[in-house]
Amino acid sequence: MKISEEMVKQIILEVLGQMQGAEGSESHAGGDVPPMDMTEGGEAKPGTDRNEVVIGIPPAFGTIMTKTIIGIPHREVLRELKAGIEEEGLHPRLVRVYRTADLAFIAHDAAKLSGSGIGIGILSRGTTVIHQKNLAPLQNLELFSQSPLVELETFRSIGHNAAKYAKGESPSPVPVRNDPMARPRYQGLAALLHNKEIQSVDQNKKTYELSI
Amino acid sequence: MTYIAGVDVGNNSTEVAIARVDTAGKADILSSSLVRTMGIKGTIRNALGVIDALDKGLALVGLERNDLSLILLNEATPVISDVAMETITETVITESAMIGHNPGTPGGLGLGIGMTITLDQLEATQVPGPWIVIIPGEFGFKEASERLTRAVSRDLIVAGAIVQKDDAVLINNRLHRSIPIVDEVSHIDRVPLGMPAAVEVASHGKTIEKLSNPYDIATLFDLDPDETRQVVPIARALMGTRSAVVIKTPRGDIEERRIPAGSIVFLGENRKEMVKVEEGAEAIMENVALVSPLLEIQAEAGTHVGGMFEHVRTVMAELTDQPVSAIQVQDILAVDTLKPQRVLGSLAGEYSMGNAVGLAAMVKTHKLPMQRLARKLEEEISVFTSIGGVEAEMAIRGALTTPGLKPSMAILDLGGGSTDASLINEAGEIKSVHLAGAGDMVTLLIDTELGLDDRDLAERIKVNPLAKVETLFHMRHEDGSVQFFNEPLEPRLFGRVVVLAGEGPIPLEISEPLSKVVQVRQSAKKKVFVRNALRALEMIAPAGNIRLISFVALVGGSALDFEIPRMISDVLVEYGVVTGRANIRGVEGPRNAVATGLVLAHVSGEN
Repeated sequence: MKISEEMVKQIILEVLGQMQGAEGSESHAGGDVPPMDMTEGGEAKPGTDRNEVVIGIPPAFGTIMTKTIIGIPHREVLRELKAGIEEEGLHPRLVRVYRTADLAFIAHDAAKLSGSGIGIGILSRGTTVIHQKNLAPLQNLELFSQSPLVELETFRSIGHNAAKYAKGESPSPVPVRNDPMARPRYQGLAALLHNKEIQSVDQNKKTYELSI
Repeated sequence: MTYIAGVDVGNNSTEVAIARVDTAGKADILSSSLVRTMGIKGTIRNALGVIDALDKGLALVGLERNDLSLILLNEATPVISDVAMETITETVITESAMIGHNPGTPGGLGLGIGMTITLDQLEATQVPGPWIVIIPGEFGFKEASERLTRAVSRDLIVAGAIVQKDDAVLINNRLHRSIPIVDEVSHIDRVPLGMPAAVEVASHGKTIEKLSNPYDIATLFDLDPDETRQVVPIARALMGTRSAVVIKTPRGDIEERRIPAGSIVFLGENRKEMVKVEEGAEAIMENVALVSPLLEIQAEAGTHVGGMFEHVRTVMAELTDQPVSAIQVQDILAVDTLKPQRVLGSLAGEYSMGNAVGLAAMVKTHKLPMQRLARKLEEEISVFTSIGGVEAEMAIRGALTTPGLKPSMAILDLGGGSTDASLINEAGEIKSVHLAGAGDMVTLLIDTELGLDDRDLAERIKVNPLAKVETLFHMRHEDGSVQFFNEPLEPRLFGRVVVLAGEGPIPLEISEPLSKVVQVRQSAKKKVFVRNALRALEMIAPAGNIRLISFVALVGGSALDFEIPRMISDVLVEYGVVTGRANIRGVEGPRNAVATGLVLAHVSGEN
């Protein structure tokens, strides 16, 4: 196929049009979500229960920020993750990691606190990773790196799989959609959300238990 | 003094032995080499592999191609065998009447019997029940459990539930009193309403007891003997599952259908037998033995078997430039196997293991293709090339160079496409036989029974042991031993069953436990190699009695397998036969037997 200048122009216009459309739909997706009602407990201690999976969230999750990049309320995200874990017969435990907004370290901290050694880390914009305590922080069991493609059903499956790893089963990895357009479309928004996220980070504060 | 080379073109590997022949006519084998066979055995394309193998062997001893005065090729009689799967049973449900699938996580425990009703209708009804509640996907687990609790507080009896989403444990955890719940029923809209139904969930590690027994189903639904006969296929399909639902429908019409898989006709020297494929591998092999010596095998046209035989013939005809009608199928090996199959008309996309027959067929060929290969080699590297003796006879000559062996003895050549056997007696007379079915057939069986759909992976499972990665720092091998690591393993291996291949562990993305994969692998090897070993030895043994053979040496690629030699040894020990892997010239192990034999037969002037 020959690509003429005209075609390139047309493609650029189309992409621009889609981007505007996407941003337009973004602003009213889900509307305003009120902050979650969460109670902070004491400092999080490593668990001894082989039957648990720890979910780690950054400071802004559910408080300053309340929904993912595609507008899924954080309340529903946590509900689905916990449901997935519970359906497999394990117990979810929630902790808030204050010291960083780096997903790998949040998840790794969660895994180190988890009695089963399995942790899930999730950023406010929806990027998620399943981690294991013996892995290096930047490794992972399963990574869902493109936050715009992580949907509500995906969170349930992530909960399922994390629980299965904790049980020593070998789950099939959760199917990850790949959309090359997600990057150009959402990169700006993702950067803004990340900026917002790191504003609440307190490097000197420990990790705390959390209940809803 | 001259240099000669023996070349053995096999289905999977091409082997060469380079020898120096002194003036007294005594051969001294200098080097050997092995490469992968290019193209199908017995075709012109093999030439590339042969030249490659020759170069490798020559390079080891610092010789050039033109130092060679003669190349000896094996006379490869059987060249192709094809394997096919023939499904012979399938479960068909024309009226929705059972959900027998095995969701990973059913909820609750026990057996519940009642009438089917939707969650909405349950709110309105005044009839106490008992009810089996149908919960479609639009209800979340929270709402569903609240509604069920409400219904129970109105003194309705909720005996069990059928859920579309994977919510069974979640719902059950939120009820005051536990009920059996089966979930992940994708086609929940097909569940008939207002019908008597039973839901059963067994505890962890156990299987259901009632719904897998036709008489229990009859008791629950008050069936007469005729109806009971009809539910037998349901009960059979539900055996071994942890949860199940059976719904009585007025015209419940479930059957286990046997698919007409075609028939095979065996033409022997003295008699002719016909057998239907759906009678199973046992019946087929009995008939093969019955008509022995076999001349030709024909299959019914227009059936799957017919198609497979036709394919084998067409390929052979193309390779050899002969009319299709001149190609005769000389031997087949049939093996019973199981193939995962979607249950037709099911409610949750269930699979059941349908019976299937795997067939390997082998064609009788002529010297022609090897002669063409010989001409091609002469053209390419200008070395005189001749066809040496019959493969199995050459193999036994090569095998005799194993220290500790003497006639009378037999060899089993376990290759990729065929299993060959030959016997040499004290007088030096050789008797040999070629049979269909070897390593490739084992690969096919593993591929099908595990539902991999990946031949390369099946091949890897065949030749390597397995382990389960339990933590990132240790794995448990299939023999139960534990291996620790100082460095963490790769994350993609975590929790998985892995194949310990030479290039590192390969994770299997299947849910079967380690023991199941091991069992499939071992039974596939037994079905093919042990059966063929006995079949072949019976054909060549004096008076057909394996006890009269005292030594058996294993040669060929599959003899290098880590468990096949032991399996064959285990059965042959019952006949008092000494079995072991050959060690050609005391150095090669079970490899290079034919290439070595070609050189030795040439200098002794026997071909």
